[in-house]
Amino acid sequence: MIYFDHSATTPVHPDVLDLMNSIQKGVYGNPSSIHKLGRKAKSVVENARKQVAKSIGAAPNQIIFTSGGTEANNQVFWSRINQDKKHVISDTIEHPAVLKALSQIAIFGIDHDLVTVNEKGCVSITDLESAITENTGLISIMLANNEVGTIQPLKEITELAHEKNILVHTDAVQCLGKMPIDVNNLGVDFLSLSAHKFYGPKGIGILYFKNKESLSALMIGGGQESGLRAGTENIGSIAGMGLAAELATDELGNHITELKSFESSFKSELLSFSPNAIFNGDPENKLPGLVSVSFPGYRSDILLAKLDRAGMAVSSGSACGAGEVKPSGVLSAMGVDDKTNISTLRFSFGASNTSEQVDLLLSELKTILTD
Amino acid sequence: MGHLAVGMSGGVDSAVAASILVEHGYDVEGLFMKNWEEDSEYCNAEEDYKDALQVCDTLGIPLRSVNFAKEYWDRVFQHFLEEYKAGRTPNPDILCNTEIKFKEFLHYAQDMGAEKIATGHYVRNKEVAGKVQLLKGLDPGKDQSYFLYGLNQEQISSALFPIGDLEKPNVRESAKKLGFDNFDKKDSTGICFIGERDFKEFLQQYIPAQPGIMVTSDGRKVGEHDGLMYYTLGQRKGLGIGGGHSESEGAWYVLDKDLENNELIVGQGHDHTGLYQKCLTASAVHWIFGEAPENENLNAKIRYRAKDATCRITDLNDAEISVEFEEPRFAIAPGQSVVFYENDVCLGGAVIDKAFN
Repeated sequence: MIYFDHSATTPVHPDVLDLMNSIQKGVYGNPSSIHKLGRKAKSVVENARKQVAKSIGAAPNQIIFTSGGTEANNQVFWSRINQDKKHVISDTIEHPAVLKALSQIAIFGIDHDLVTVNEKGCVSITDLESAITENTGLISIMLANNEVGTIQPLKEITELAHEKNILVHTDAVQCLGKMPIDVNNLGVDFLSLSAHKFYGPKGIGILYFKNKESLSALMIGGGQESGLRAGTENIGSIAGMGLAAELATDELGNHITELKSFESSFKSELLSFSPNAIFNGDPENKLPGLVSVSFPGYRSDILLAKLDRAGMAVSSGSACGAGEVKPSGVLSAMGVDDKTNISTLRFSFGASNTSEQVDLLLSELKTILTD
Repeated sequence: MGHLAVGMSGGVDSAVAASILVEHGYDVEGLFMKNWEEDSEYCNAEEDYKDALQVCDTLGIPLRSVNFAKEYWDRVFQHFLEEYKAGRTPNPDILCNTEIKFKEFLHYAQDMGAEKIATGHYVRNKEVAGKVQLLKGLDPGKDQSYFLYGLNQEQISSALFPIGDLEKPNVRESAKKLGFDNFDKKDSTGICFIGERDFKEFLQQYIPAQPGIMVTSDGRKVGEHDGLMYYTLGQRKGLGIGGGHSESEGAWYVLDKDLENNELIVGQGHDHTGLYQKCLTASAVHWIFGEAPENENLNAKIRYRAKDATCRITDLNDAEISVEFEEPRFAIAPGQSVVFYENDVCLGGAVIDKAFN
């Protein structure tokens, strides 16, 4: 199988895997225990915290470990219940971990409004500004979109928000390792990450927070993570995430260059035999290596099945429980009509790819599309 | 060997059908169809998908998913509702085969590159003298040709029916041997989208009920009904008529529906003459070979679970057919199909409009 679905998840980096194995084997102490084994476990967790913090320019005590991006997002929103200002603004192309969480907390009196995006998938500052009410306490806008890769103007958003005493959260799970992230430069108050998107393990992520005052715990128990996330730490995964974050930022420049080269050769070559292909999103302001393409006249699930048979993994729209393909809400929100929508595939290149693999993909696509 | 797409339902029949094709060396892909947009305690698409996935993983074949809920709603379910509104008793599984499984699903599989499809139906097909026959499954208790009478030559020749010559206990045994989790899964009964839920409650969501009275054929009121659509001709259970229920008179049965007056005609005893008719007319006639059989003396089933009975086609044109049975048949229900056979060969059928003597 050749893997072109790195935005869905990534293979675990071999060094990360080695580290996790050795920790699972050797460091079985509980970080809350005060004996030597406990202290060893504790230092593994704290070392990882420093690594992850450094990768986004945060202080270690501004990070808690969660089960992933979904939990981190949920914690920010559910925390609103204990805050005075109960109106939240987000946008129409967020991940369900934002949109569904927001719908769910409506019954606790947290209202929200969603601003629309333009045809490139970008929110407008003017729209955001006019959605603000006196009661707005939080704006949540993803740093970059998972389906089309469009990067949002977070810095401008936080400037606007902070003028009005509004906090800003960003779901940045797609971004680490594909663009520089500096929480101070972005100015955000909360940021979510998930390790499996940057060659770390699944089931572990972080929530960054500028101040802990506006945050409440979702998991209550033994007081771990400064009381903000109880439960015995997932040490192996935490350590793996720490190293993965470090590797992702160390290799950032080279990785971006490589992804850009995959992307540009893929796009230009694809157009040579499939001139009607439409690239979705913002051609400039986007994550490198993530390419959303519509093939008018085709059905994405058929294309996907044919690529799958040829041993190539790509994705289309958002899959549901029973595995079937539905029109993408993100593309609809960007104004893509239903027919074009269901003809869309997402190719996301990554560290496991080579240019030879990209060539193989192109030749398979050529066979399928010109058959 | 060829590239095949097997319709996987999550049940044991399609699982074993797929396993037979894999064993024969075909390039097999599983295709899971979702035809109903609901995941409730009654409609377990996700559970069924997991079962299908376990089977495909065991066989080492891919499983893909496809959603025909819109097509099903437009072409099968709407018709189902129309029929109930008209006081008839439709059989949506027949339409599901002609409109969805052997049309949408078939085309989808062909688009995917499959040469043929395969299903876990208990039927067989065979080419004889340039025509493809649809034959009954060899397990007499399981034969499903009744549900497939609406297929044409192209549809039947595009399909493989790997378990048509097996008996159900062997299918289950084979599934168990192969390590399929669904080897002892309960057979699905009734209408797939209704599942185990209460039929009245289900129908009420879509069609307003019009309660009325139950009368005997000589006009005597004996009870009240909840809406004619809830009753089927020949139905005994659930009439709720008290009194006069002594052993000598026997249980109450639905004899007929008077739509005009919204009255349910009932009568007592399984032998009530109002329950038996020798003749019927039917429309939406379909012949599997593309033309009516030369032989007028055939066998026919008037519902899935009815026995074949000798009959004669007395009148026939493109739109309508008249049939006379040798012996009276019990509870011929409009909306159900009459399906014709010559020995094991299914010839076609039509949708029953009325029965009479």
